[in-house]
Amino acid sequence: MACVSKLSRHPLPGSHRRALLGSALGLAAIALAPAVSAQEIRVWSGYPELAPFYEHVAEGMKAQYPDLSVKVEAIALREHEKRLALGLTSGEAAEVIELGTSTATRYLENGLFNEAPAEVTAFVQDPANFNEFFRDSASYEGTVYGLPLFRGQSALYYNTEMFEAAGLTEPPAAMADYTKYAEALTKRDANGTPTVSGWSMRLSGGGQGIAEKFWINMFQYGESLVEQDANGMWKADFANEQGRAALKQYLENVHTLKTVTIEMPADAEAFEREQTAMFIRESWVIGDIAAKAPDLPYATATLPRGSIVAPVSLWISGEGAEAEAAWAFAQAANEPDNLLWLLDNVGWLPNRSDLDYSAILEAKPALAAFVDYPDSYEFFSLPNIGPVEEILTRTAARLTEAFANPALATDDAAIDAVLVATQDEINGLLEREGLLAQ
Amino acid sequence: MLRRKRWLFAILAILPTLALFAWLRMYPIFETLRLSLHKWDILSKNKPFIGLANFKELLGDRLFHEALLNTTIIAFGVLIITIPTAMVLAAMIHYRTRSRLSGFYETAIFLPHVVSLVPAAMAWKWIFDARLGPLNAVLTALGFEPQAWLFDPTLSVISVIVLCSWQALGYAVLIYLVGFKSLPVSLFEAAKLDGASGPQSFWFLSIPMLKPITLYVSVVTLVSGFNVYAQAFVLASDAQGAPGRQVRVLVLDMLENSFRNYRVGYAASEAVVLLLIVLVLTLVQFSLLRERGRA
Repeated sequence: MACVSKLSRHPLPGSHRRALLGSALGLAAIALAPAVSAQEIRVWSGYPELAPFYEHVAEGMKAQYPDLSVKVEAIALREHEKRLALGLTSGEAAEVIELGTSTATRYLENGLFNEAPAEVTAFVQDPANFNEFFRDSASYEGTVYGLPLFRGQSALYYNTEMFEAAGLTEPPAAMADYTKYAEALTKRDANGTPTVSGWSMRLSGGGQGIAEKFWINMFQYGESLVEQDANGMWKADFANEQGRAALKQYLENVHTLKTVTIEMPADAEAFEREQTAMFIRESWVIGDIAAKAPDLPYATATLPRGSIVAPVSLWISGEGAEAEAAWAFAQAANEPDNLLWLLDNVGWLPNRSDLDYSAILEAKPALAAFVDYPDSYEFFSLPNIGPVEEILTRTAARLTEAFANPALATDDAAIDAVLVATQDEINGLLEREGLLAQ
Repeated sequence: MLRRKRWLFAILAILPTLALFAWLRMYPIFETLRLSLHKWDILSKNKPFIGLANFKELLGDRLFHEALLNTTIIAFGVLIITIPTAMVLAAMIHYRTRSRLSGFYETAIFLPHVVSLVPAAMAWKWIFDARLGPLNAVLTALGFEPQAWLFDPTLSVISVIVLCSWQALGYAVLIYLVGFKSLPVSLFEAAKLDGASGPQSFWFLSIPMLKPITLYVSVVTLVSGFNVYAQAFVLASDAQGAPGRQVRVLVLDMLENSFRNYRVGYAASEAVVLLLIVLVLTLVQFSLLRERGRA
């Protein structure tokens, strides 16, 4: 104000001066208002199909948080993992981060996610909300850091019309039956070349998915890629009859029976276009089919022994008001209404226990294979250890090579050699990280 | 005094550029060299010094060996295809400048170089598609067996070479065209008077006189060949997997080790190996082409 007086040739009367000061302060207040009251948080997701879910959650928070703006940035999972590695270490990451437990462990070890506030901890630790598996999946060394959200879990998808045409009335009950079914379901042209694959298997492409899918199949024979001992250490020990059965099944289907070929259209896209009769995938495919092929005649079935469960939680980074808003968002995402919306509209399975799926199951019976399973059904998950991605990526590279080698199909000794080499490589990685069991 | 002032002015004028170059080019190189001697997972604050352990591990890493072999084959494959093709195409365009379509030819050949890499690779992915691709349709029409271009271990590498060569060709032709335009016309006229045919003039005059251009183009092509990544990634990537065989190349392996396996120190040691390879090859090219040029 003193400055204004000095600059004025004709000093203003007191009332004018006060009016001018008031106007200036008023303008300043208007200019600063959005910065003070509006708040923005970002949500980073590795599943593009989940963007509408997070937007739905944000929409539901409008009444309670009218000034909160939620920016959802959902990209492909592998790119999401890269941005996390760079964003979290440079302090540029989003406030709400969606990440699977097996990968999140590295970040938890380095203190890059916030510890949950007391009320979130109480919510997560309440057995009425989450079972022990999901409570552990959001915790590190006994402390809660995340809010369990959804899980990846596999089941068999099959085309009911193709089954009927092949005279198959039930889904396969044992893993060995999958090959017989695939043979009966494969459609061929006049030259015998398959035009519709009997069973779409993950045979190529980059990334660790090939190894994950192989693990799911091998699990049906009673074997795992790595197993933990009583001391919490890990070991690969699958170069045996079960491992051979799993790998041989791939090779038989690809090279001997040719129920599927490496260049045939594959995965959900092929199933939706009726280019394959059956395949194993997570529950999100139900939402994908509803959107892309709503008239597809299909059903789902549980796998012979059990399924992988890949729990995904919401983790929070940052501090202050943004972190508080981020926790509020994560809690809102876990509201029963929102979780049912997630299952109904996107297809991923919520982790929360106390949900009533009956209305959705009635409308979408295909979801039953994911939530109504036999008591004896077993689950496994990816180990929460540092080198898990490297184990899967290197195993995938070996499997891709094996799947492309027709000479292996009829040579058990050669299959065993591949399994031994893969197993040794995994154990070498575990040893390097000090995680190998004796 | 005036000379000193000029010298100072020159230093001051070049200093911002040097500073930027040091910060953006030299610092990352030295940091990569330093990281290659450490174990670092990108998340931890600790970076223990491990000496040459990363390099020792590289010696026994089969994925690194595969990546190195694939990258070398691709880089030299692109070089072998690009240099002679570019030289011949540039010669044809240069000596046919009277054609009304010469501008079209130049543009058509240069266009792939400026087309964004990812959409171009997507288009080639369709061309190479085993079932719906036009390449197999042509092969079938000619009576050949259709091929699984993106799935067969050998054909998938060839596919990457074809894509990279297609992209590198435009730039190489452009540089060769500049070279052809700078060649002395009198020499060619003298050769013609002596009875030399067009191909003879090209072989005995153009090629030797274009050695500096060939040196430059081959260095650029080889270096970019060793940096191949997006082409291999796009040809084998898909939202739901199972689209094609992943051709493992060095840059892809580095990215995988850095951001999927969280082994930045190890990836840095791969980068150092790549740097050394490119440096050695560049020196070899310089010595070969310069020596012969003098002779």
